Amino acid sequence: MRSAPRLIGVEPALESPPSEVLVEARALEKWFGPHPAVRRIDFTLRSGEFLTLFGPNGAGKTTLLRLLAGSLRPTRGELRFATTAGGDEHAWRRRIGVLSHQTYLYGELTAEENLRFYARLYGLADVRSRVEELLNQVGLIDRAGELVRTFSRGMQQRLALARTLIHEPEMVLLDEPYTGLDPHASRMLRGVLEHLRDGRRTIVLVTHNLTQGLELADRVVIQAAGRWVFDRPRAAIDVARFEQQYSERVGGEV
Amino acid sequence: MTEFLRQSLVIAGKDLTIEARSKERLISMLTFAVLVGVVFTFSLDATVPSRSIAGAMLWVSILFAGMLGLGRSFTLEKEQDALVGVLLTPVGRGAFYFGKFLANLALVTGTTLLIFFVYGLFFQLNLWAAWTGLALVTALYLIGFMALGTLFSAVAASTRLGDSLLPIILLPLLIPVIFFGATAAQRLILGRPLEEVAGSIRMLGAFDLLFLFACTIVFGKVVEE
Repeated sequence: MRSAPRLIGVEPALESPPSEVLVEARALEKWFGPHPAVRRIDFTLRSGEFLTLFGPNGAGKTTLLRLLAGSLRPTRGELRFATTAGGDEHAWRRRIGVLSHQTYLYGELTAEENLRFYARLYGLADVRSRVEELLNQVGLIDRAGELVRTFSRGMQQRLALARTLIHEPEMVLLDEPYTGLDPHASRMLRGVLEHLRDGRRTIVLVTHNLTQGLELADRVVIQAAGRWVFDRPRAAIDVARFEQQYSERVGGEV
Repeated sequence: MTEFLRQSLVIAGKDLTIEARSKERLISMLTFAVLVGVVFTFSLDATVPSRSIAGAMLWVSILFAGMLGLGRSFTLEKEQDALVGVLLTPVGRGAFYFGKFLANLALVTGTTLLIFFVYGLFFQLNLWAAWTGLALVTALYLIGFMALGTLFSAVAASTRLGDSLLPIILLPLLIPVIFFGATAAQRLILGRPLEEVAGSIRMLGAFDLLFLFACTIVFGKVVEE
């Protein structure tokens, strides 16, 4: 794998973790018809890194996550995944987990049936014990046999988190995961993220919430109009000044 | 191939579990079919022997009841973006399509059996006399119908028009399957030998293979992006 490319038009990161490169993007672009969503982005993502991606609505953050998840193909440029340079998307999908504000769950299935369904799609060997373990972790073991449509938003998001982690992904992509959660559910989610931040798993968090986004990150990026306009290690950021910096980068919108 | 079938059965099992619980599609399909049967009962001239038009009545009921069920096939994948969740797993797009096809086929087969039973009672049709040939023709017809219908229900679900688009894009392409299926079934109901409809059966088989193969390949393009 090549060394980290120099970011074009972006303040360079001051320090980089020593771990291996997991994803490398070069001149990455995604257009939907005449509308650009991601415009010439260059970056590397290393294993164990916790990157928080900020940006206003329409900045192309979700599109970037979908490119990273392999569910969208770049219009131009290159996106290389470690050990899957041959374009083996199936192998890459086994290594990622995606948590969005949409839960990707079926309301007419129980919590247990939903997890069993996804576990089988991933071809896990011991489905029953893995499902039980995760239901325990997210505190839903007592509600395992209940239909998901009867769950509150917070419970559904906890179950969605279990779905995301069912195959123990190396990289977790989180798209506005705090949306619609009450303070208790937000604390629970934060606790799980803290637990996931074990130095081996790569996490990309997309959020509008500056406080939540800065809490666990070790790299902070601002995306505006499809471009990365800010990319720095968390340690180099003055929290008190960050809102001001964010506002300047995205043109006044906070 | 084993992995393809395993993944397909997981998808089909999920769809059938949801349907067994909600019975949403089955109830609407059966209600529609029975209502059409009632309309036929009142509107047909009593002097016309029902055997002579039984094929048309059966096929119209199966076709539109099936269409009703197909319309909902991808709606449940759209709620909470479950379709995206499935596409993010390593499941093959072909296996996903084939699983949805198997579930749709199981549902429409159950509905068709009930339609045969109800119409047999309503119109005093002796469908048993030609049951082997009728079962073969119906099975081949349903396979072709669901092969194409599963693909186009995914297309319709991804558009703004949704379910209402399905008949418009599906029916023209189904014409060969409807033609060979309905004519063969009508002849069998009238007591003609199976050999007489062998050509239609071969054509139905050919269209089934073509539709299944083409739709399995094309499905990935339909659901991605």
